[in-house]
Amino acid sequence: MKQNLNLQTFIKESLIKDDPTAVVTLTNELEIINYSNAFLEEFNIEKYDLEGEKLLDVLTELPQEIIGYLYDALQGKPSSSEGEQFDINKGIHHWYKWKMSPWKKNEKEIGGVILVIEDITLKKREAELLLGALRVARIGGWELDLLKNKIYWTDITREIHETPADFEPDLASGINFYKEGYSRDTISKLVNDSIKTGAPWDVELQLVTYTNKEIWVRAKGEAQIINGECVRLFGTFQDIDQQKKRDIAYKKVSERLSVAKNAAKIGIWEYHINENSLTWDQTMYELYEIEESNFSGIYEAWKASVHPEDQERFQEEINQAIEGKKDFNTTFRVVWPSGEVRHIRAASVLQKNSAGDSYIMVGANWDITELIRTKLSLERSEESFQGAFQNSAVGMAIVGLDGKWIDVNDTICNSLGYTKKKLLSLSFQDITHPEDLHTDMSLLKEVVDGYRNSYTMEKKYFHAKGHLVYVILTVTAVKDIDGNLLHFISQIVDISSRIIAEDRLKKFLAITNHQNKSLLNFAHIVSHNLRSHSSNLSMLSNFLLEEKEEAEKKTIEKLIRDSSNSLNETVLHLNEVVQVKTTVVENLESIPLKEVLLQVKNSINGLIEKHQVICTMEIPDKLKVKAVSAYLESILLNLFTNSIRYKHPDRTPKLHIKAYMSGNQKVLSFSDNGMGIDLKKHENKIFGMYKTFHNHPEAKGIGLFITKNQVEAMNGRIEVESEVDKGTTFKVYFKID
Amino acid sequence: MMRKINISCIIDDDPIFVYGTKKVMKEADFCSDVIVYNNGKEAIDGLRTLVEEKKELPSLIFLDLNMPVMDGWEFLDNFITIPNNNIEKVHVYVISSSIDANDFIRARNYKVVNNYILKPITPEDLVEVLKIFSNDL
Repeated sequence: MKQNLNLQTFIKESLIKDDPTAVVTLTNELEIINYSNAFLEEFNIEKYDLEGEKLLDVLTELPQEIIGYLYDALQGKPSSSEGEQFDINKGIHHWYKWKMSPWKKNEKEIGGVILVIEDITLKKREAELLLGALRVARIGGWELDLLKNKIYWTDITREIHETPADFEPDLASGINFYKEGYSRDTISKLVNDSIKTGAPWDVELQLVTYTNKEIWVRAKGEAQIINGECVRLFGTFQDIDQQKKRDIAYKKVSERLSVAKNAAKIGIWEYHINENSLTWDQTMYELYEIEESNFSGIYEAWKASVHPEDQERFQEEINQAIEGKKDFNTTFRVVWPSGEVRHIRAASVLQKNSAGDSYIMVGANWDITELIRTKLSLERSEESFQGAFQNSAVGMAIVGLDGKWIDVNDTICNSLGYTKKKLLSLSFQDITHPEDLHTDMSLLKEVVDGYRNSYTMEKKYFHAKGHLVYVILTVTAVKDIDGNLLHFISQIVDISSRIIAEDRLKKFLAITNHQNKSLLNFAHIVSHNLRSHSSNLSMLSNFLLEEKEEAEKKTIEKLIRDSSNSLNETVLHLNEVVQVKTTVVENLESIPLKEVLLQVKNSINGLIEKHQVICTMEIPDKLKVKAVSAYLESILLNLFTNSIRYKHPDRTPKLHIKAYMSGNQKVLSFSDNGMGIDLKKHENKIFGMYKTFHNHPEAKGIGLFITKNQVEAMNGRIEVESEVDKGTTFKVYFKID
Repeated sequence: MMRKINISCIIDDDPIFVYGTKKVMKEADFCSDVIVYNNGKEAIDGLRTLVEEKKELPSLIFLDLNMPVMDGWEFLDNFITIPNNNIEKVHVYVISSSIDANDFIRARNYKVVNNYILKPITPEDLVEVLKIFSNDL
């Protein structure tokens, strides 16, 4: 028995001791008989031996209500609670879970109470926190009992659906809350699949709430399968509307950015300096034409693809950026694996982490090769313009709006005879001939006023040496992209040589005209002078045929002889004239004037002596003139004899012959004190053929005509000054050497 | 019946022409008297004297063009300036060896010139001149 008792005691004691729950056995006076270790743990009791202690001394914070229940239990009323909240102190709540029942000493008498108690405050708090969290996270639960086709929604689920509190959902109405289209189709399929296969789901879909708001939810669900059959579905709803909308907005922005980035081919890179790790986006690989798989993702790999000539600078600029001295904002060349060289522009920002000990560079790269090429080709076209400008055979100038030369090429300098420096200090007005300035300025004004874009005119500039330069000027306006006038481009074609040629042509024309006139004159002479003799001859020969008287016949015969002599003489004269006119004198000799003059004078010494002419000469000994020897002799002879022939009847003839320079032309003058000629009447006829002005027996009207022709044949000219009764001066101008 | 001209005048520097013309006139019994001047200047001076002395002017003048001192054209210009010249009664014929058309035209432009006769002057020319002279009276 004793053994039995011991065993009983042992079992009791050890069973209680090792009970996993917090259990304590009490006497009627609520003294502790025994207790489980779990009890000690539950209430953090350090004292080991509690036997005989009053429970209320051990658990000082035990709520009064539970103490009341204990006394109730001693009266035979057991009680239990899965959890009850007690206000211990003001504001401090504790949750207890308990079970208590009396134990009997014997059939009738209660020995005490067995109490199983647990402080579930922490657990309860966790549950509350969880609930709170669910509320905050707006996660609601739901459950679908397929057997009963009944849906249970938690309060938050209802809140998410914005349904009234008494709303009773079922499967169909639950699914109908999903937005028609993708969301509803998706959830229907997922639920169906899950019922069949047990597959869980987790999707983000749109709901249309009871009050018709569209919201995004994260819907999760799974199935409970029993014996291969789905009996229950359960899951959560989470209101992710704001987050989702932010996501969508962010996604849109990023997509836009990405589209822009892709369209602009902007590559983004991120370089973690401390870790030497380089991250490139897809575009970067395209910009460098490197396969992503071939890229080691370290800085050195990047540097290696930079053009060798740019690597040092690249390194330097990266270093400066890391040291914070200068932003990494540069251009460099990269060499593609194919060998092609591309130009890259790079910009970046340096970011520090919060600790300030590590750096991240984030930057962008883009390809500016086309830009560079365009710029190059622009530069090249500028260069080629410069080349064309400088080397053009046409004179070219850039002229400012104020008329100042901004730039001039060599051709224009050569044409105008100025150095470039000198020309640039002048305006076009300064060197334009006054006759052309007005036209030029008014045309230019039309360009300035926008009535025309360019103009072309023939104009004259003053050469640096003073003579005129004839040009064809074309002025074109140069405007900026907004149409504002920047400057003018003047193109100047020097036509001086053309003008000179034209002048020469005009001179030839004048000579031709002159010769034509002489020819007409000559024809007239022939028609008149030869005919006068021939008509006389025909008349006289008729008379002779009809004349009977011998004496008269003799007279007529004499007249016929005279007439035929005159005819002969006229023919000789004409021949002489024709010879002068048809001889083209190209090679004139230099003839000593004084020598020839003395020879001629000697040849008519008899005549000079006969008329007692006083002849004085003022001729430099060595003076030579350009002449044809025979012509010069003929001219001098004619002038001598003319002076003597038309000497004044009342005075001793005086003849003064001198040579002098008129400008750069040599002049020989013969001045006499003779009868003189009324030049007012006879100026036009004096050198004409068969024009005589004095009723002089020897006046034939041929001498001066031939003289003039001879002088002109030697590219000279002859002038006369005369006054009746005073004298006459002939001046022979010789060809300029 | 043709009327005979009283005084004719020849203005020419060519003695052969003067000789020949006088001879033809005489044979044609063209006029009673002939005055000869060797150039325009002599003719103007002579005619002016005749007017001044109120003597009879020649009814007909044969005028050469190419002469020294004063040519035929100049004579014509001066002739019309002689006061009381009775020009309308004087028949002037330009007698020239020039076959230059310009000379014909120029001569025709002088109102006072009746006609232009090419040298040498022939008896037929004189008959024609006489005929016109008579009709004009």
